[in-house]
Amino acid sequence: MDELIEILEDIQPDADYENCTTLIDDHILGSLQIISLVAELEDAFDVTVPTVEIKPENFNSAKAIWAMVQRLQEEE
Amino acid sequence: MRFNSYISLAYLGIFLPIVLIAYGILPKKIRPFVLLGASLALFWFMSEFLVAYFILSTILIYLSALWLDKLKAKQKALSALAESKEEKKAIKKASKNKQLAVVVVCILINIGILAVLKYSPFFLNNLNLIFSLAKSDISIDIPKFLAPIGISFYTLQAVSYIHDVYKEKIEADRNLGRVALFMCFFPIIMEGPICRYSDTAQKLWSGESLKYRNVTFGIQKILFGMMKKMVIADRLNLIVTNIFKNHEALNLDGGIVALGALLYTIELYAEFSGTIDVVIGSGEMFGISIPENFRQPFFAKSISEFWQRWHITLGTWFKDYIFYPVTMSENLKKLTKKARQKLGRHYGPMPATIIAFFCVWFCNGLWHGAGWQYIMFGMYHFVLISIGSLVLPLSNNVLGKLKIDRNKLPYKIFTIVRTFLFVCIGELIFNSSGFYDSISLLKILFTDFSLKTLFNGSIFNLGIDHYDLLILAVTLVIVFIVSFSKEKGKNVREEIAAKPIFVRWPIYIGLIVFIVVFGAYGGSYAPIDPIYANF
Repeated sequence: MDELIEILEDIQPDADYENCTTLIDDHILGSLQIISLVAELEDAFDVTVPTVEIKPENFNSAKAIWAMVQRLQEEE
Repeated sequence: MRFNSYISLAYLGIFLPIVLIAYGILPKKIRPFVLLGASLALFWFMSEFLVAYFILSTILIYLSALWLDKLKAKQKALSALAESKEEKKAIKKASKNKQLAVVVVCILINIGILAVLKYSPFFLNNLNLIFSLAKSDISIDIPKFLAPIGISFYTLQAVSYIHDVYKEKIEADRNLGRVALFMCFFPIIMEGPICRYSDTAQKLWSGESLKYRNVTFGIQKILFGMMKKMVIADRLNLIVTNIFKNHEALNLDGGIVALGALLYTIELYAEFSGTIDVVIGSGEMFGISIPENFRQPFFAKSISEFWQRWHITLGTWFKDYIFYPVTMSENLKKLTKKARQKLGRHYGPMPATIIAFFCVWFCNGLWHGAGWQYIMFGMYHFVLISIGSLVLPLSNNVLGKLKIDRNKLPYKIFTIVRTFLFVCIGELIFNSSGFYDSISLLKILFTDFSLKTLFNGSIFNLGIDHYDLLILAVTLVIVFIVSFSKEKGKNVREEIAAKPIFVRWPIYIGLIVFIVVFGAYGGSYAPIDPIYANF
């Protein structure tokens, strides 16, 4: 989770990733950031993020992103 | 009987009440069939025998989805018997290849029907043009095809259904009636919105009872949509048509062309969002939530935000089925990773994004019509949005140095006005009659601009009078107040519904009287045809 927060802060600083649950809804993460984030997640956690996973509920909070990564790791 | 608009006596006065009564009095089990029968009947009224294309597409996606299900089941059964991980992987890969083939063929047939019916004359005309430029004697006869109404809308729904089944986002539906109803629920046939199976299909087939609240809220939404279409769009149609069709014959200057672009933008919004209000209101009466297609688009502060608020379901379709699949393709992912190391956080994903933007906006332009002006309209937005993304760090830097706060009201107003002007220029291209006409209009706009003709009374020779202007101004103020309240997070409809009956009903009755008295029908008015129905 700490590594994920580091990645998020590198991609888009100035956000409260510990508590924010509206990263997509409030446009903190836009399309550009999602593209960078997916590339970083795949590298860092050795997963493949399919396009169907790119939906607000999976990216609205750091916890949701982490849950998605763990789920994808189990499925790999 | 032929229908050509949802805002017509035939639909609102006859068709909708009959379906509503039949749905209300028949038992729950029969109700989905009432909706399906009504939807197919309306499709027939609008397109007659061309409904066969729709039936073909529906059966095709239905069978393809079931085939995918069979392949997946077979894969599971074989995997259960596999003895090693490698064997499981090989089974999965072989099955995925077969599934992909099914999906690709299904999508190609659906898109192929659309391409042949809608785009083949355009492509063949351009091919003939190339032959003649090359001084060749070859000339291909241009076939004439008739396309069913709403083909561009239901084809996108068909593609989303089969894609989502393939990606296991949804399960293949074994009920052909439910798939057909999802594809052609009667309010959405003509102008969308583009629905997703996961959002509407189950609810459509549930046969939920009519509820007083749903019916009254539906009527409320329909009335507001009728006001936008009949009082604003229909009133503007004559002057907009005159400016766009006769700008050369009437020798109009840039001031009038600018006015034409402004009025067409308002007309298009009033017509399209007004019809969508009627569509959503019709669904609401049956308890069906049809997705919203507009979210106060003229409050957008950038072109990309505008497209998140205007024709929302088309934008999200392109985002989900073109933008992300392109940017997330293996090659572009690798490109993004490399570019991030060299170009940094902001510019790293930019090459992949710009390639994806190009695909999205080329398709968006072409989706709107088979003509170079539509491709130009798409490319105009591609350039604006790409530049917007590229200069963002620079503009943040400049604003920081000038100590301008993006969140302060004056800057917000500046960005809203700037976006609106860009939108108007885009709509000028969009409503031109072809590539050369759009260039001619842009040339007049930028080289012969004068405010004089706007104030010397010459606009009153173009199909609008002082009375029309006054009615338009009042109605636009009403629409603005409602939009502003929604933008501030207020639920205007709930607030009106919560008012006492002696406040609530005069509002509803006042709205009906307003439409009846000030609607632009009869006399010299020429009501506008549904613009998006032709796409």
